[in-house]
This record gives sequence, C-alpha cells and structure tokens, in this order.
Amino acid sequence: MRLHRHLKLTPSLLEIDFSETQKRICRFIKEYIENAGAKGIVLGLSGGIDSGTIAALSSLAIGGENVLALMLPEKENFNQKDIDDARVVAKQFHVETQVCDMSKALNGIYDAIPVFDQSNRLCKGNIKARTRMIFLYYYANNQNRIVCGSSDKSETMMGYFTKWGDAAADIAPIMDLYKTQVRKLALHLGIPKELALKPSTPALWPNQLAESELGIKYETLDLILYGLERFVSPEEIAKELAVEKVLVDKVKSRWIANEHKRRMPLTPKIGYRTVGNDFRLPRHTY
Amino acid sequence: MKDKIRLALAQISSKRENKSENLRKIEELTIKAKEKGADLIIFPEMSLTGYVILDQVYELAETIPGPSTGKVEALAKKTGMHIVFGMPELSEKTRATIFNTAVLVGPKDLIGKYRKMYLPTHSVFEEKRYFRPGYEPAAFQTDIGNIGLSICYDVFFPEVFRLSRLKGAQLIICISASPAVRRGYFEILTSARALENTAFLAYVNLAGVEDGLQFWGGSRLVCPTGDVVAKAKYDEEDFVVCDVNFGDLRAAETFIPTLRDLRPELFDKLKEFSEQI
Repeated sequence: MRLHRHLKLTPSLLEIDFSETQKRICRFIKEYIENAGAKGIVLGLSGGIDSGTIAALSSLAIGGENVLALMLPEKENFNQKDIDDARVVAKQFHVETQVCDMSKALNGIYDAIPVFDQSNRLCKGNIKARTRMIFLYYYANNQNRIVCGSSDKSETMMGYFTKWGDAAADIAPIMDLYKTQVRKLALHLGIPKELALKPSTPALWPNQLAESELGIKYETLDLILYGLERFVSPEEIAKELAVEKVLVDKVKSRWIANEHKRRMPLTPKIGYRTVGNDFRLPRHTY
Repeated sequence: MKDKIRLALAQISSKRENKSENLRKIEELTIKAKEKGADLIIFPEMSLTGYVILDQVYELAETIPGPSTGKVEALAKKTGMHIVFGMPELSEKTRATIFNTAVLVGPKDLIGKYRKMYLPTHSVFEEKRYFRPGYEPAAFQTDIGNIGLSICYDVFFPEVFRLSRLKGAQLIICISASPAVRRGYFEILTSARALENTAFLAYVNLAGVEDGLQFWGGSRLVCPTGDVVAKAKYDEEDFVVCDVNFGDLRAAETFIPTLRDLRPELFDKLKEFSEQI
C-alpha cells in the first residue's frame, strides 16, 4: 500500500493492480456466500457499469448459475438500450436473468400516499430506488440468496445514492473502488468498452446523468476524493488539479454532510452498550 | 539442545468465536506436523478465537493456564510436540484486564507466554480499546532451542526483536493477523528483523476473510541473513514444513556481526530522544 503523496494528483494514482483486485473481490464474495450458507447472489442489473461489474465479479466468484440478475424496468423511465446492455453482460458471464416490471408496484405506492406529489421527481425517484431494494430482498429471502450491492466509492463518499435504496445490500464488493477504477476493472474483466465507458445514471427519471447532477466529471471527482481521503488540503488539491478551490470545498462538504447515509441511525446514549455506537460485535455470516 | 529442528507453519483461517472448532484444527494439524517429523508447530495470532471479535473478546478471553491452554498442553503431551498459538488472555490477577498473547506449550508443560507489546490502534485496528500492552520480551530455553515470541505489529519495532535476541532467542516467532493491504511492509520487516539480529524468524499469518479484512497468509521462515527459505501461499490456508539449522547462526554472525557491533551507550540517547517526540 503506497500513499503516493510524493506524487502529484494525476490519473496514474488511481491505477491499481486489477488482477489482484479481481482476485480479492472474488475471494471476498465466495467466502461470504459460503459462510452464510446461501444458495447464491441476487443483484439488480441496470445496464450500467457498476452493476455490470458486480454481475461479472459475482459470476467469476461463485459461477453464473448461482447468480440471479434482476432487471427492474418501469414505464416512466423505460430504456430498451439499458435492458439490452444488461443482457450483454448477463450473457457474457452466464448469469441467470429475470425481468420484473415495477410499474404496477410503483403506481400502487404513488396511489397509496395521500400527499403524493408527482412533480417532486427526487422523492418519486427515491421510491423507485427503494422499490428495487424490495424486489431484490424478496428474491433473497425466498431463494436464500445474498443481495449484492453495486455502490462504488465515488457515489458513496458523495452520498449520491438513496438512503435504504440502492445502497441497501448485504455486501458491497466494489465500495472501495472509485468510479474510474470500476470502469477500468470492467475493461479488465472483458466487459465491452462501450458499456464500461457509458455515462452513469441512477435511472430515477428520464435522461438523468450522474456527472451532470454532481456537477463534475468522475475523472476530476475521483482525484479530489483521493486527495481528501489522504488528508490533502483543499488548497493543495485545487492547485494540483488546476480547478477552483470552491469546487473542492463543495465536494468536501458534501462528503462530510452525508455521513448520516453511511451509518446506522443515530440514537441518544442511554444504556450500557448502544447499538451503532459502542456495541461492537463481529459481523458473522454464519 | 538440538542443532536442527523442524517447524510446521500452520497458516490457518480461524472460525471466529468458535474455540472448539479452532482447537480441533490445532489438534488435526499438530498430529499432521508430528507425522511430518516436526518438533514445533506455529499457529497465527488469536488463532484460538479469530482476530476480528470486537466486544466478544470480553467473553472469549481466558486465563493462562486455563481451559484452552489445558487442552493444548494435553495435545502437546500426547504428540510430544511444541506448539505456539495466539489467544486473548484474561489476567489471573485482575480478572478484568485482557492481553493479546502468544503461548508456547511444550511436551512436558506450558513453557511460557508473551503479551503483545505494540497494539495497533489505527486504520482498521482497535487493539488498545481492548488490550493492555505487555512489558516483557520473550525468550524461552527449551529442549529444541531458545525460542522468542512476538506478535504482528511488534515487527515494526526493532527493539522487541532485539530484546528477545539479547535475552537469548535464536529462533524468534512472530504470529500475525495482517491484512492484505499491509503485505509489502511485513515482507520487508520480517527479513529486516531476522537480518539485523542474525536470528531465525518464523512468521505465521492468518489466511481468509474476517469482516472484510483479508489476511494475506504468506507465512515464512527467514534465515539469519534475511533470506526467505520457506514460504506459504498468499491468501489461502496452507501448511509448510521447514528446517532450522542453528549451526547457521555462527556463520551469519561472523559474516554480519550485528551483535558484536552493538553500541549500548546509544540506547540511552534513544530513550532520551524518544521521550521528546
């Protein structure tokens, strides 16, 4: 583990040994599934690069016949290209697929909420992310599978996900890889270039693009986050990347402000040992 | 005392919180080591309980001697083996304080123990939250040579190994639970500790995954010139048998006389300056 602080913040810092990374992630997945006594994995396959990479890694770890990829389209945001892209990866890695149209379920939820506001696309989008989670956990419970999440480090640090939605999973094998590293890992795994470099979207509403929403390219964001992770000051990061300091400050604030999304819910300390605080138990999978 | 001894490096993956399963594995591999002609078998740090046990350490810690060391003593007697393993030790005196301890058991009885002196409490490590550090370097005169003990993060601190060597250790054992991102450091430091002390160093690491921490294995025997003479696989469980020839110590010390050239007067300065950081 090199810290690289003697080097300038350049994309080469994000180069890692992808063979070794693949090996480590696959071992992690395999051991978890074995220890849990689970029959396999269920994951949401969107046609995007994170979930495609997760499908590939899961297949390489435990065999495609033990991996179920759910494709969860819905009417408002239907995109045949995403479905086709998802199928390309599923076929390439021999992963079983199942399409579940979420439209009825979503309409049921919208109808059941007395104050539901169609125009608030963020609240509506979050319902979609959480409904995907419900479908995934149904298959997990019903078929003794582990839900494999596809959150990456860039979106997790930025809090760019729906609380209890897309980040809700039993394991998150690529959560310690920045987005640009996930793309490179995808290429290393043999996922077609067109898919690996496809613009990311949470697909909560039509034409939603991650980089437009975040207001920054992943190539820049990842280097800012890399610097922040290693305690480099925002001034220094801005100087080295030739960007405005205000941009780095914005990323830093967003990273810190979203810690609540990455933790157990906060509770006031009352008892002897407190869940999520000083109640520290090992996470067993068996 | 023997001039040559045979070691078994038992690079296992422990079942967390499952002492009976881990003791079963210790027994199985000790019998296997005996069959391979080994005199001493070494298991990793906290191999009795697993490493990432957090608050469960309060329930799992045992006194030494205690029920688990009793079982290992019986095994050592039965097989005629020397056995080193790691466990959380509950202080007999206070009945509350816990140490991260390496235990050396011989065919006749429990020979000794070493309480980890340097407890990592940074990054993913929380040892100072749970353990009190030890104060006593370890070197035990046994029928199979003078054996020193150390644990994992100690390897970053030359003084632990130097003290053990100066106390008489010719083979220093380092049991470990080192995660993969730190492999490079340990590969350098295990060789350095052997070379600078012209001693044999047997490093035995955990394998497998605990709470996302992937232990890198890579257990090894390093000879007094720093060369790795036997090595286990990376990442997965492995069992390696290797030989130590204590006759090599004199040849190494003649070629690299680090012990002859020690300068005790510098240690006062070391103490003085380290108090001023």
